[in-house]
Amino acid sequence: MLELDTVRVNVGGFLVLRDVSFAIDAGAATVLVGRNGAGKTTTLRTLMGLLPLEGGTIRLDGRDIHRVPAHGRAALGMGYAPEDRRLIGDFNVEENLLLPAQAIGLNAAERRRRLEDVYSLLPELPGLRTRPGGSLSGGQGKMVALGRALMVGTSYVFLDEPFQGLAPALAKNYARALSRLRREKEDIGLLVTESSPQYVEEIVDHTLYIERGEVGERDTLQVE
Amino acid sequence: MLDLLALLIVDGLADAALIFFVAVGLTLVFSVLRILNVAHGSFYSIGAYVAVSIGMWVVSAGWHPYLTFPALFLSAALVAVALGPFIERYFLRWTYGKSEALQILVTFALFLVFEDLQKLVFGVQAHYEDTPLQLLGVSDIGGIFYLNYQFLLIAMAAVTVILLRLLIRRTMIGKFIVAVVADREIAQTMGINTTRVFVIAFTVGVFLAALGGALASPTSGVAPGLGAEALVLAFAVAAIGGLGQIEGAALAAVIVGLSRAAAIHFAPDFEAVVPYLVMLVVLLIRPYGLFGTVQARRI
Ligand SMILES: Nc1ncnc2c1ncn2[C@@H]1O[C@H](COP(=O)(O)OP(=O)(O)OP(=O)(O)O)[C@@H](O)[C@H]1O
Ligand SMILES: [Mg+2]
Repeated sequence: MLELDTVRVNVGGFLVLRDVSFAIDAGAATVLVGRNGAGKTTTLRTLMGLLPLEGGTIRLDGRDIHRVPAHGRAALGMGYAPEDRRLIGDFNVEENLLLPAQAIGLNAAERRRRLEDVYSLLPELPGLRTRPGGSLSGGQGKMVALGRALMVGTSYVFLDEPFQGLAPALAKNYARALSRLRREKEDIGLLVTESSPQYVEEIVDHTLYIERGEVGERDTLQVE
Repeated sequence: MLDLLALLIVDGLADAALIFFVAVGLTLVFSVLRILNVAHGSFYSIGAYVAVSIGMWVVSAGWHPYLTFPALFLSAALVAVALGPFIERYFLRWTYGKSEALQILVTFALFLVFEDLQKLVFGVQAHYEDTPLQLLGVSDIGGIFYLNYQFLLIAMAAVTVILLRLLIRRTMIGKFIVAVVADREIAQTMGINTTRVFVIAFTVGVFLAALGGALASPTSGVAPGLGAEALVLAFAVAAIGGLGQIEGAALAAVIVGLSRAAAIHFAPDFEAVVPYLVMLVVLLIRPYGLFGTVQARRI
């Protein structure tokens, strides 16, 4: 289980996360819904250790991990796909996928095994393997970013607005990939952020709402 | 006329080789750590001082004179190992993400401290130790005498360009460096220890500068002021090539080296300003340098 306990985070002098507490069970899928500027990206960056905590703590299976540096999170099995893909433009798709597996020190056989795993889960990728990361379309890039997160994200995967900017056909494609992921990798906990939950409703077990840095079970926007 | 041209080219390329070592280190450190290291020239002069000292010691101890060649590399390695990790850890690390003005002040302060320390240890007089140059002798090509040591410098620089490219392209640490240059934050989330990458890149940068100084010492000797001169030249070359560009630094060094050699022969008064005139012209036409781009951070 991954738990945030009264997490407070400052960005640029502003308190962006205000006593955020929620938990994701192993193998469960959660969507975090909030409008622009609500703090979705900040929540995921905090989970990846990119922002220092002002207060509160983060626990992974009961263990306090808020002191594990950002580069240590991948080794804990946490994978992250940022909202703007951010692939390494000079590397081809396969190099982009393999890089995190190399960085956490997996041996060649294990890297190969995970790569084949990701390729079978995301059948769009094998055809792109030699394409430079900088030459992909938006939809292809999102798929590669998902694959890259899955290479190390064996326990939790965080996807930041994956449907943002995707044409409907591509979004359906991506949604299919996610439901395949849910079926075939049942023990991966998934946290997806979205500004509207339309594409992920059928995939997720749980919906959370974030509004001005506060996370709750209720859709405060709709209640108003 | 043709003879003069050949001589100019050899002189210019040998000069380019030495400038390249300092400039490529400066550019590597800039693209990975995003710090313009004003103290970078000090590593060049310290490399030269250490090489001269070890060279003299090898000779006076009656060791085989050819040992003065490996001594040049040993000197650079010693400087890199002794200063690289130490300076990164205690002087640079706390400035990451802070303002560029602060970073320049810190490295400028380091440069001043190094200048004084060098005067304290080695005095203000010039030191010479040119055994490697003497050993290699000269070649008579078509009636013109060339220093063989100059050919060695040119070959060394060419090999260094290739080795650096292989390091960046083919090794694991090279891939981590590319990722860190392209996107620090994403590199971290991929599990790359950016701190370690900084230490390694900085130490390699120190090694290259110190190697430049060590290799220069048999031809130029070493005296106070060498570090400042190296820094300014390296900065001009790095800017001409495009900051962060290895091949750009090599091409820019060749351009500056050849222009300097030409100036020395035809218009000696202009020798000192030629590198900056070249820089001015290049930057007016291509503001990000020959190989530089606005958009992508790459190495
Ligand atoms: N570098 C920064 N300096 C100051 N404030 C920031 C900074 N980055 C983000 N913020 C603020 O933090 C808040 C949350 O930002 P965040 O990026 O987490 O929102 P988001 O929910 O991901 O929004 P979006 O849907 O636009 O991606 C916003 O109000 C934003 O203005
Ligand atoms: Mg966001």
